[in-house]
Amino acid sequence: MLATTLYENGDHRWIMFGRDPNKAEGIIDTNQYMIQSGDQAILLDPGGIELFAPMLSAVLKFVPAQQITHLFASHQDPDIISSLGLWDQALPNAKLYSPWLWESFIRHFGMEKIEFCAIPDEGMTINIGRIQLQFIPAHYLHSSGNFHVYDPQAKILMSGDVGAALESTDAPLWVDTMNIHIPKMRKFHQRWMPSNDAKLDWIRRVRQLDIQIMAPQHGRLFRPPQVQEFFNWFEDLPVGIAIKR
Amino acid sequence: MATPIFVTAASIAAELHQAMLEAKGLALTAKNARALAVRAGSKTVGFKAITHFIDELATDIIRQSQYINGVSEHLSHNAVALWRATTAAEKFDWIATQHSDNIASLHSAIHTCYQQREALSHTLGRGLQELEQQLEEGDKHIRTANLIATSSKVEAASAGDFRNQLEVIAQNITDTADKIRAHLSQARRLLGQRQKHKP
Ligand SMILES: [Fe+2]
Ligand SMILES: [Fe+2]
Repeated sequence: MLATTLYENGDHRWIMFGRDPNKAEGIIDTNQYMIQSGDQAILLDPGGIELFAPMLSAVLKFVPAQQITHLFASHQDPDIISSLGLWDQALPNAKLYSPWLWESFIRHFGMEKIEFCAIPDEGMTINIGRIQLQFIPAHYLHSSGNFHVYDPQAKILMSGDVGAALESTDAPLWVDTMNIHIPKMRKFHQRWMPSNDAKLDWIRRVRQLDIQIMAPQHGRLFRPPQVQEFFNWFEDLPVGIAIKR
Repeated sequence: MATPIFVTAASIAAELHQAMLEAKGLALTAKNARALAVRAGSKTVGFKAITHFIDELATDIIRQSQYINGVSEHLSHNAVALWRATTAAEKFDWIATQHSDNIASLHSAIHTCYQQREALSHTLGRGLQELEQQLEEGDKHIRTANLIATSSKVEAASAGDFRNQLEVIAQNITDTADKIRAHLSQARRLLGQRQKHKP
């Protein structure tokens, strides 16, 4: 499991975990993120059960277990949070922030010790160490209860499945040429995202944010000007294509 | 690869459920036999007496099957929890070999996990022992059933006009006892397999 520091300012850090060369064949490659500030840290979309051991091992290289105080699951998918039953054994005092909509579903992954903190539909902010994070509504993108995470100080938006691309584990970290990258994203967004209205609502929301890095859960990350180019492309892309009109 | 114990325990529960259904059939047979014996009058007094035993035996088997069924379902549950604790413990063991800088920070979680694994493993061992005893008890019931089946045949032979009907009933008792025995020995076989390569 590779770890890359995306941002560092004093004890405020964003670390990305992923591109695991030992990942089992046939499971989708995922990006996990950790935000650290002071003596607290949050793991964003900590990943599937197959990834638990390499992920925990990689995380402990940066922080002791007691400082992983928060987990965040943008939605209920197995590639996001099926590892929960094992985190529950490792971090008995942690809190899991996740859409209220999915609480009774996510509990099926096994959660006895970790505390479930429901994010209301309109989103909310939480404090991690000395920083504040915003949970930005991204419902129906693709999950019907779904949030992204914005860090106004680091100016990073963790955008879940939005901006995702299916690529090999040795792909570069950053999007360089949008024309080359777009074909790797098109089908994913058209087929997984169900609602054009939801898409436009999200674009309106995130265009108001100052974003230096857009960090999806699969594939490469975006920097300006690719961030804005992505918004423009996504704005015009018809989604929900499995329903033929 | 060894069958996971939660599968074994659930399979035992399923065998015992089948045994219970057979025993319910046996209770019905006892009821029919008694009705017939009453109509047949003095020639079937012996048979009528036996029907009480059949009825009692059926009730015993039903009660015991339900009990064993409950024990093995509980065991299966327990074994799932043990499997989860063991899975986590194995992941922790692997992480410990990775020389993570902060491995010490996991110590208390790892300790709790190991403790849980020990406790669950202990409970599971006790449960398996109880299951073994209960299944032995079940074998006693089968021996009783066979005795009753033999006596029924003897009594049927002297029942005059009702001989054929009573013989059918006697055969029915033998067959049902055989089926229950098959379920019990399948359950014991499953348990025996499990005991060989303990959890
Ligand atoms: Fe998803
Ligand atoms: Fe995903």
